Amino acid sequence: MTTAIQVIVDALSVGSLYALTALGIGLIFGIMRLINFAHGEFVMIGAYMLMAIVAQYEPLAIIVAMVLVVVLALFSERIAFRPVRNASPTTMLVTSFAVSYFLQYLFVMIYGARPKGFEFLAGLAEPFVIGTIRIPKLNVAIVAVTIVLLAGLALFLTRSRFGVQMRAAALNFRMARLLGVRADRVIAVAFALSGILAGVTAIFITVQGGTLSPGMGVQLALIGFVATIIGGMGSLIGAVLGGYFIGVVTVLLQFGLPLEMRPYREAFVFAAVILVLLARPQGLFRGAEARERV
Amino acid sequence: MLRRVGAIALAAAVAAGGGFGQAAADDDTVVVGAAIALSGFVAPYDDPHKGAILAIEDVNAQGGVLGKQIEFVTADTKSDPAQGANAAIEVLEQGAELVLVTCDFDFGSPAAITAQSRGKIAFSLCAGDPKFGVQGIGDLAFSMGIGTPAEGAIMAEWAHAQGWRKPFIFKDTQVEYTKKLADYFQARWEDGLGTVAGHDTFNGQTDTSAAGQITRIKESDADFIAFTGAAGVGGAPIIKQIRAAGIDIPIIGGVAVDGVYWLDAVPNLSEFYNVNYSSLHGDDPIDAVQDFWARYAERFGPPIVGFSVTGYAIIEAWTRAVERAGTFDAKAVALELEKFVKEPLLSGDTTYTPEWHINFDTPLMVTQVQNGVRSGIGRFAASKVPPVDF
Repeated sequence: MTTAIQVIVDALSVGSLYALTALGIGLIFGIMRLINFAHGEFVMIGAYMLMAIVAQYEPLAIIVAMVLVVVLALFSERIAFRPVRNASPTTMLVTSFAVSYFLQYLFVMIYGARPKGFEFLAGLAEPFVIGTIRIPKLNVAIVAVTIVLLAGLALFLTRSRFGVQMRAAALNFRMARLLGVRADRVIAVAFALSGILAGVTAIFITVQGGTLSPGMGVQLALIGFVATIIGGMGSLIGAVLGGYFIGVVTVLLQFGLPLEMRPYREAFVFAAVILVLLARPQGLFRGAEARERV
Repeated sequence: MLRRVGAIALAAAVAAGGGFGQAAADDDTVVVGAAIALSGFVAPYDDPHKGAILAIEDVNAQGGVLGKQIEFVTADTKSDPAQGANAAIEVLEQGAELVLVTCDFDFGSPAAITAQSRGKIAFSLCAGDPKFGVQGIGDLAFSMGIGTPAEGAIMAEWAHAQGWRKPFIFKDTQVEYTKKLADYFQARWEDGLGTVAGHDTFNGQTDTSAAGQITRIKESDADFIAFTGAAGVGGAPIIKQIRAAGIDIPIIGGVAVDGVYWLDAVPNLSEFYNVNYSSLHGDDPIDAVQDFWARYAERFGPPIVGFSVTGYAIIEAWTRAVERAGTFDAKAVALELEKFVKEPLLSGDTTYTPEWHINFDTPLMVTQVQNGVRSGIGRFAASKVPPVDF
């Protein structure tokens, strides 16, 4: 029983990190069909910014790092992605790789390739102890903050004017523009939101691992990308569930596979992804744009 | 248009061919090249090349090797095995007689294979996989690292000597070295030292969380953890997560968790031990090693990892073999290296044989971290090394 609870908490916390990343990538894809691989670098830069500022005051570091990541997201949209907005998806994909590599190597130049260790929000590393169960506060915080963020985002998308415009743009970008939705503004808001999600992910990754390196976001972006695919490209709820799906499957396999097979865990995770796509080629949740209309 | 492309190609060829000019190294110099990771995530593990630079300065100050001054050139593999061959070609075209390659079989072998195929000696800074040599690359490939069977055996025997009895083996599956280190630790442990309390795996390159594995460690009745990860490549976050989960039993690791650069990730880390080639913390009992670290600090700043002595040792080994052979010819030099029996080098007494181009009997320094501070404990050799298993 104790083990079962531990495993459930583990699965939810890993899944939450993946879900936050997948949502950051899914938001942008839904509106402009851009798979933003540089999202991982937004996370990486958020973490480095925390380290650069943390000496002063932790809450300040969080706010400043978040603001800087949002500014970076907006800036990369303006400089790199806006000029290729009407180009083919391939061009946009290549652009996102270029931004991703540029940012990684920029940080190799500034901070060096050697990983840096630093402690942040040490209090979160301590566990809650309930009987024989010890659950790191961080895991609880990750799950709780993810739920709050998702709820906030859902409210924003359904209740606010920008949110409604974003959903309209995701549904049919050209029609939304014809009806007076301002493309630049909607896309900028989407990038700002993905910057916030990247900033939050950066905080959790930093508290969890305490180690920063310029390549730290690459794997995360890859998982986020796969999660948006199985969730159904263009569907936000799908991206979130896709993230949880990969997180939960990973933890369950790590726990359930016999020792000899555990090194091949990723093969099983991605076999599960393939199975989902075979059963539902459009993903778990079909994005509205995928439906054929007559 | 075509003409213009041709002109650009020609210009590029001339630029690239700069190496050929230097290849005809003048009569009083000999080139030693390093085709290693100067950037990317493996770069911290190739820090020993700075040891080679210090050794080359010493050799040159004493008149060089066979009367020739050593010139040191480098090419960056960017931590990408696919770039290894290109980097090796780059230094070979500058006339390198000896090619230093990355401190790992998976990352260093592409450059070594290129050097071997061009008839030059390849020396890995510190690869531990016994394949690094005749079996995996060829008769001209050597490693200054200690073979993983010996490293795993030293970890097991030293842990047993501390009275620890129930290991949880936490295997990193990212490269051959990290996998094999766990297997050899287990082989030595189960050869009369005791039984294993539990096992699990992670991948330092891809796993962001080890939540599931940590739950399994908690469920076991282990009294210490044998950890085979690399601190700089995913290991430090996992160690942090182990301690954050309230698991405070001793952890013992290999050479790849050495160094001070990652300790800020786990403030006040205690009960952490690992084996290494030297102690850079000012307490190494060997004077020559102490001198080395003092010079290193003066020249390159604060030391990062204790295994940088291997770079110095490679130059010592190669120059001695060249002097004994009386030639730079790679085959002749390799035959002299194979005659090394407990040859005293900065990284320890080193033995090579025609079969094994990697050490198995060098003692290793055990260092500890207590309250976030590292210190050396002492050198320790294994009484019994498990047989090599490819």
